[in-house]
Amino acid sequence: MSAARLGRCLSIGIALLAPVRVDAADVTLWHAWRGEERAALETLAARWTAAHPDAPLRATFVPYDALAGKIEAAVPRGNGPDLFVYAHEKAGTWAARGLTLPVAPTPGALPVAAAALADGERARGWPLAAKALALYRDRARVPDAPADTDALRTAARRWTRPASGTAPAQWGLAMETTSAYAVAPWLHGFGGGVSDGARLRFRRPENVAALGFVHALAREVVAPELSGAMLVRSFDDGRAAMAISGPWMLGELRARDAGGVDWAVSPLPVVRATGRPAAPWATVETLFLAREGPDARAVGAWLAGEESAAWRARAGRQVVARQGVGYDDPALAAFSAALEHAVPMPVDAVFALHWEPLARALRRLSRGDAGPEAVLAQADTDVAVLARPPPAPVAPAPWLAGTALLAAAGLAYGARGAWRARSEMARAAHAYAWMAPALAGVGLLVVLPFLVGAAVAFFETDGTSWTFVGATHFLDILLARDWGLASPLSLWRTLAVTLLWTAANLVLHVVLGVALALLLREPWVRLRGVFRALLVLPWAIPSYLTAMVWKGLFHREMGAVNAILAAFGVPAVGWFDRFATAFAANLATNAWLGFPFMMVTTLGALQAMPRELEEAAVLDGATGAQRLRHVILPQLAPALLPAIVLGSVWTFNAFNVIYLVSGGEPDGTTDILVSQAYRWAFSRGHRYGYAAAYGMLIFGMLVLYGRGVGRLLGGGVAGGAPPAREDKA
Amino acid sequence: MADVDFVALAKCHDGPRGPVEVLRGIDLHVPDGAFVVLVGPSGCGKSTLLRCVAGLETPSGGEVRIGGVRVNDVPPAARDVAMVFQGYALYPHMTVRENMGFALRLRKDPDTDARVEEVARMLGLTGLLDRLPRQLSGGQRQRVAMGRAIVRRPRVFLFDEPLSNLDAALRTQVRAELRRLHAQLGVTTLYVTHDQVEAMTLADRIVVLQGGTVQQEGTPQEVYDAPANRFVAGFVGTPGMAFLARLEPGAVVGVRPHAVVLGRGPHRGTVRFVERLGAEALVHLEREGEALAARVDGPGLASLPEVGAEVSFGLDAVHRFDPATGARQA
Amino acid sequence: MRTPPRWNVALVHLMLVIATAVTLFPVLWILAMAVSPGSVGPGSALPVPQGVSWEHLRAVVGTRGADGAWLFGRQLANSLVVSVATAVLGTTLAATSGWALSRWTFPGRGGIAGLIVLTQAFPAVVMAVPLYLLLDALGLLDSRTGLVLVYGTTAVPFSTWNLKGWFDTLPRELDEAAMLDGAGRWTTFWRVILPISRPALAVTGLFSFLGAWNEFVLAATLLGDERAWTLPVVLQGHVGEHGANWGEFSAGAILVSVPVVALFFLLQKQLVEGLAAGSVKG
Repeated sequence: MSAARLGRCLSIGIALLAPVRVDAADVTLWHAWRGEERAALETLAARWTAAHPDAPLRATFVPYDALAGKIEAAVPRGNGPDLFVYAHEKAGTWAARGLTLPVAPTPGALPVAAAALADGERARGWPLAAKALALYRDRARVPDAPADTDALRTAARRWTRPASGTAPAQWGLAMETTSAYAVAPWLHGFGGGVSDGARLRFRRPENVAALGFVHALAREVVAPELSGAMLVRSFDDGRAAMAISGPWMLGELRARDAGGVDWAVSPLPVVRATGRPAAPWATVETLFLAREGPDARAVGAWLAGEESAAWRARAGRQVVARQGVGYDDPALAAFSAALEHAVPMPVDAVFALHWEPLARALRRLSRGDAGPEAVLAQADTDVAVLARPPPAPVAPAPWLAGTALLAAAGLAYGARGAWRARSEMARAAHAYAWMAPALAGVGLLVVLPFLVGAAVAFFETDGTSWTFVGATHFLDILLARDWGLASPLSLWRTLAVTLLWTAANLVLHVVLGVALALLLREPWVRLRGVFRALLVLPWAIPSYLTAMVWKGLFHREMGAVNAILAAFGVPAVGWFDRFATAFAANLATNAWLGFPFMMVTTLGALQAMPRELEEAAVLDGATGAQRLRHVILPQLAPALLPAIVLGSVWTFNAFNVIYLVSGGEPDGTTDILVSQAYRWAFSRGHRYGYAAAYGMLIFGMLVLYGRGVGRLLGGGVAGGAPPAREDKA
Repeated sequence: MADVDFVALAKCHDGPRGPVEVLRGIDLHVPDGAFVVLVGPSGCGKSTLLRCVAGLETPSGGEVRIGGVRVNDVPPAARDVAMVFQGYALYPHMTVRENMGFALRLRKDPDTDARVEEVARMLGLTGLLDRLPRQLSGGQRQRVAMGRAIVRRPRVFLFDEPLSNLDAALRTQVRAELRRLHAQLGVTTLYVTHDQVEAMTLADRIVVLQGGTVQQEGTPQEVYDAPANRFVAGFVGTPGMAFLARLEPGAVVGVRPHAVVLGRGPHRGTVRFVERLGAEALVHLEREGEALAARVDGPGLASLPEVGAEVSFGLDAVHRFDPATGARQA
Repeated sequence: MRTPPRWNVALVHLMLVIATAVTLFPVLWILAMAVSPGSVGPGSALPVPQGVSWEHLRAVVGTRGADGAWLFGRQLANSLVVSVATAVLGTTLAATSGWALSRWTFPGRGGIAGLIVLTQAFPAVVMAVPLYLLLDALGLLDSRTGLVLVYGTTAVPFSTWNLKGWFDTLPRELDEAAMLDGAGRWTTFWRVILPISRPALAVTGLFSFLGAWNEFVLAATLLGDERAWTLPVVLQGHVGEHGANWGEFSAGAILVSVPVVALFFLLQKQLVEGLAAGSVKG
């Protein structure tokens, strides 16, 4: 490459690395709306900007998975937007943490939206849109909307038939029977709910009745194991005559002329036993004010206002949180009607704790582990653990003194070592100079954040208020104080699963990697390069997507694995119903993801290995297996060991696969340590301190493991046996 | 050009079980222009001594002087010495030309190309200048390694077992070439080998090392004729010297095969086996449980004794060593 | 090399075909989702697309920003620049430290080598928030430079380990010869060691590149404006609260994977055959 071209490339690269400037005068808005909703919002932003050139509105799209984390990181540091759109259920926590500011109530808002956001005289934000579950039905099979639960059941029964011959099974209804959100309408419809007004309480006769009804539906007419895309697909394919889902499914269904079913939407039916409508949770897409400013307030009120709502309803095909908006799409009108009976989701932090215990209860019910009453009682126990009061503060003085003492002792020890080795250090000054850039970078951007994060483990915090609790988290976790040692939440049980997981994965990775490398090394193999390139594909495609595809492959009804097994006469396996099969599904996914690394490492090592040795072994009369065992493997070992040690650490922390494939199913038994830590940080009430303590314990275990391995290999792993005297330094 | 001196040179390595003394007080003078071979069994410290001259090892005591100047703290690059390594250490990514000219190019020497061409002619490498090391045979690589050293016109040449990767025929040929080059260039040369034949044929002076100390230093003939101790006597000469403890009281008698005369003499032994080498033969004898060999050539080859036969023999020349210390007795 | 019996050849090929088929199965699913018209999630036995349409691919590639500029092109360039810069930064930092660890003993060497392994065990859960605070303090939020710095330094421990392993296999005679030829430490490293370490540098760089190329969480947190995004963030944007746009997600995933597969194909020789020790040992 010529110098001029190189220079041009460099300058383009540097230009791309520079920050993208945003004018400070802009009103910024973050959102995670996609498709038509996003387009409608951007048009509105353009309209506002055209009318107010001195306060232009910039709407920035952020992936949904990243939005909440980004807001919580950016807003407190003053890097956040002026406004952002998020579901209203976070409003309580965020307002308490000072992330959002109160606004004036929006006149003309839907009652349910106003109720959801009410905060005394003020509102927690501007309601934009609202979502609740409703009933989709195939008009060809279910011409009229079922008026009550009996009608629903009758219609669903009529269109349910098991698979026979080549005809696939037909289901009357598709709904997520193990989702706390999807079951809520029935709890409300039967007169129950997740809270008795004062605190979370599940075990109530109304809830027992509701679960009995849901369980009966599940046994008789509901397609099993449905969630997300599967649910959409089962209805879209016509395999389910009805589906309970939200407005988000509208955009996923094929049009009638593209082979889709002729569908219609209606509000959920009335519960026959109580005469009350099945009342789903209402979620209000809320525009929050994150930074004070007259322009931002004006934008907020305008976006929640009539002009904006009408446009969003028409162009964005959104169910807007405003009264008196006409819809040209009857489905949208039906969803709007469904909001009439919907219950606004509470916004307090305690409410958010109910999801996991209730979902677990539903899964246990669905597996037939226990009846409705027993699973609800268990959920009450679980929720008590999650909602237990934070640990008592501990006087930080002795800890501070202890830490200071330890730090001083460490420094003194280090200084003594350095003083003793001063002449050697002076002679090796160049070595330190060569290490310095790497050490500085790693120290600043890897080690320092880690140490800060580690300190969090000694606090109880939700991100805003900090209470020093000393070693309480560690003791709680190590002693499994809040649950039995055998509970899936216990560190020790999870550790056992994690060890099993790591060992099983490593065996598979090494066996598959080495076996394929041995096959691929033969020079007479045709298309060697093609095989090699295809076999590393799992490594190349983002694992986020492939893990989700694997989960789909293991689906009970629609997964390819069961379809292939069926061809051999094996009855359908509910992969995520039992520990062994769920673990196997995780294992298959991770083995698939991980073997290419071992294969490439082995191929490299095999290249460096002279074939004469093997030929000598052939002459000595060694069979193939003996050659492998006595010649090839011993020679591969030194090259593979570092890869195996690294691989074991990575697998130990392989969060993605567990989270995306089994999701810890059944009942959190397949969770490993990191996925537990993640749940504590993000889905069990944001207990960052507890999660950090978990993380530190994981780290401690890996350090012990590393030391063990290091000793086993005579220090070879960490970079060659250092001369004995260096240990003193 | 320069002479090389070692003054009480000592070197310790840190072993897994404490320090190991590799060199224990070496005192040695290598005269300017001499070809000195350091010989000894593996682990005797000969390579370490060489590396101390190169500056690749830092002595833990004593001095190394080149041209009378202490160089202990002079970095290798500034010592103006060239070394030919056992594995040749050719830069695999450079052609022969680049390999040979590397040192000169680093110094920005304007004559680089001319000198490389000249040395290539001297070594018969002209046709290979644009090849990479991996495209060369073992012998060619060895010559490139030598060429790389010669191009620099250093004050001292260091050779660390440069012939050990070559086959026997090539080795003989290169030995002759090395002598010729040394005669032509006259550069002080330190040469390390464990092969005493190489030592005998190449050296102006031989230094026999064992256990980190100099056992004997002298011309090849001196070392052969008057070995200073049992170790040197046993190490120098092929086939090796036999040692008989039961022949004379108060001394171990060392005898080389050519000094054993079969058929007449005061001693008797049993023939254990016979090695025929074409122009000569070795008859291996056993006397009172001790082994020795006799060299037979010329007419004697026609009537070699049978295995198991009892023969008488005499000794032409013997060496006597102290049974306790192994030192040579007058 | 002797050719083995025919049944053996057939068996090896059969096993390779089976292994490749199993490996490709989920990949075919992604392909099927990418070319099926409409939004079709995973969920039937065989990866047969429901018709062939390029709408998703076109939608992903043709994304335009609010200002009408070709957004996907810019994001692709972002990804390339960030990943290449990461690979260069990580490998550069790791090369000198790997060489120091491989060649010189110095007080604290054991401790540093231990630290390198330890960083691989740092749980990400613990580090995300402090990292954000740190980058904010350094004024590196919302910039790809900050991202490169984080990716690069995160890649350093593994790269150092990898390169040290490679340097350990190089005969010491080589650097000694260079030193005697009058090269200082830096010249030896730059003119002798680095040129013969190209395969190892390529492999190490590929690892860092891949890490940056597929990373999503940090990129989404640190990069604000869509024009600054890298492709994994774009990809993640197709996943919403309720389900995903599978077609565009898959099409995007394929686009993201193509350069990686191509890189692997190009570097295959370096990856597996460049380690032929003979050329170094001479």
